[in-house]
Amino acid sequence: MNPTEFGQIAVNAVLLSGILALVALGFSLVWGIMNIVNLSHGAFVVLGAYLTFFLHELVGLDPFVTIPIVMFALFLLGFGVQQVLINQVIRAPLLATFLLTFGLEILIVNLVNYFFKADLRSVTTRYTGTGMSLGPLRIPYIRLAALGISLLLVAVTAAFLKSTRQGRAIRATGMDIDAARLTGVKVAQIYALTFAIGASLAGGAGSLLSMIVPFDPNLGETYTQRAFVICVLGGLGDVGNVILGAILYAFVDVFVGARLPEMSQAFTFGVLVLLLVLRPQGIAGKKLYA
Amino acid sequence: MRLVSRLAGLFVLGLGTAPLISQTAIAADTIVFGAAISVTGKTAKEGEYTRDGYQFAIDTINQQGGIKVGDKTYKAALKYYDDESKSERTAQLVEKLVNADKVQFLLGPYASAPTATAAPIAEKYKIPMVEANGSAESIFNKGYRYSFMVLSPAKLYLRGVLDLVKSLDPNAKTVAILGENEPFSKEVAGGAAEYAKQLGLEVVYHELYPSNTQDVSSLLTNVKAKNPHILLGAGHLQDSLLVVKQSKDLGVSPRAMGFSVGPSSPEFRANLKSDGDYIFGATQWTSALKYNGDDPWKTPQAYAQAFKAKYPAYGVIPYQVAESSAAVVVYQRAIEQAGTLDPAKVRDAIAALDMMTFYGRIKFDKRGVNVYKPMAIEQLQPDGNKYTVFPIDVAEKTAIYPMAPWDRRAKR
Repeated sequence: MNPTEFGQIAVNAVLLSGILALVALGFSLVWGIMNIVNLSHGAFVVLGAYLTFFLHELVGLDPFVTIPIVMFALFLLGFGVQQVLINQVIRAPLLATFLLTFGLEILIVNLVNYFFKADLRSVTTRYTGTGMSLGPLRIPYIRLAALGISLLLVAVTAAFLKSTRQGRAIRATGMDIDAARLTGVKVAQIYALTFAIGASLAGGAGSLLSMIVPFDPNLGETYTQRAFVICVLGGLGDVGNVILGAILYAFVDVFVGARLPEMSQAFTFGVLVLLLVLRPQGIAGKKLYA
Repeated sequence: MRLVSRLAGLFVLGLGTAPLISQTAIAADTIVFGAAISVTGKTAKEGEYTRDGYQFAIDTINQQGGIKVGDKTYKAALKYYDDESKSERTAQLVEKLVNADKVQFLLGPYASAPTATAAPIAEKYKIPMVEANGSAESIFNKGYRYSFMVLSPAKLYLRGVLDLVKSLDPNAKTVAILGENEPFSKEVAGGAAEYAKQLGLEVVYHELYPSNTQDVSSLLTNVKAKNPHILLGAGHLQDSLLVVKQSKDLGVSPRAMGFSVGPSSPEFRANLKSDGDYIFGATQWTSALKYNGDDPWKTPQAYAQAFKAKYPAYGVIPYQVAESSAAVVVYQRAIEQAGTLDPAKVRDAIAALDMMTFYGRIKFDKRGVNVYKPMAIEQLQPDGNKYTVFPIDVAEKTAIYPMAPWDRRAKR
């Protein structure tokens, strides 16, 4: 591997890690606060991608302009889904939450499949594929913008959790639900808010992905798996851990992909297994968003 | 709480095994063809093409009277289940079709991996399976007697691109090959590499990536460093789109770019718009080919017209549709020649078949592979259309070569 190749591959990994962090953050919040491994997380990514696609194709909006709309729509959907469905399984055995979120994933994916068919779609704009050259390295604008937006959204979420009343209530609920309730936190609302934020972040990631990869209704499954691996790698502790997990995942995936492409998935999941054996709490992880 | 989880469980199971039966009631005088087809999952789109090709052929045969067995005429019917693009599911469903649904004959699933799991089951129950969508020869090198494929085998897929480039540009010297790590694509990639060497080309890069990949930028970064004249991709539609998109992202501009699967389907152009220009795609069949066959439609043009009349939603007819119909035509002819529905005798009639069809010549070698039909190559040209450019004697247009580099293309 010569220096140019090495540099380009490192750039690819950094560009990938932003969007992975965004997908994983919503997943990690719902898992850390509500103790629900949300198997339908990827389905929200899919919905985000389709919303952006149709707003671009039918209304003619620039895909980047659609991101706030998509995130708001997914926020509302996430809020509703939590109130009607997820609330039924709060504090239920793990299997019940798995079944419900897995069923939800199948339902959403099949509905998308039914209404929009299994056709592969991409959001293609005038600037798709354009980029800047940094010496011999190429940085595509869309992926660069996706990295910037991902990091921005991650930072906003972190600030929200740290500095606002609602954010603190979310963290308090994650730490000790009974104590939070005693101090006047309306737990049901906080759960709905948390789930809505998770769905919203997934939707934003879906918007960005629609510009980067060709997708169909099955886009989400891979991202649920990746979010899971990243959360375990980083630990569920806080936003920083998610970023750390995403960077680790992206570098392993991209660098192994460059030399032993056949093995890249085996390696990323291999790292997961290894870490679970050596450091079951994750790289940096504490248990909750404390 | 328990109720909720139980309901959730039922819900998941219910969706998982819902049978997809095209005809609600199946009469006694009906020959039922069974198949597990990927209507959802990774190859859902191609699965739809497969299903529609089978169904269209069966409907056409029924309209024209049916299938004659001795002095009796039977109607045909298709019974299929969704294998969710999962090979292990294919095997279970084929077993179910044979045991529970008692289908008389089997049609293949979509793609090589599921076909490889279905073939041993056909063998176990000694029921013929004519398949149209799994072109990995490895399936047929295992000595099965009951499986047949109407397709040109995988290793021939990208030969045409190499022949074509060689005829246009004797100075083209280097080839890079990216392949998906699954049986069909591996054979496509391997066949292309072997043939490139025969033509005196140097294979400067040959790597496989995992199925369901979301990123090939690392491989393309390596490819860019080798600066090949020809870039070949052996994967499925999603991978081909990804290779083109990321080639543009990274500025990988070979003289020619060709794919085994992708360019022939309308979504390739829909996704890439003008970025799809100049790209070559292998195809088992196009409606521009000049065959004159002995089957319900005779010519590719007539087939395309009839299919479009029935399925107006289709733009250009994908080859998966035509090859799937061809598999049904094989059964019609073989059953009529056998004069019985006895699976072993129908099997022998299939093995002895040699017919010309709208899809090309169909004749099987000892293993059950149709090695007698060549692959065609199409090119997406800047006028927005797709033309058959190889074999040159049946080409609609001359190929445009070389491909314009990404940074020197006019903005739309």
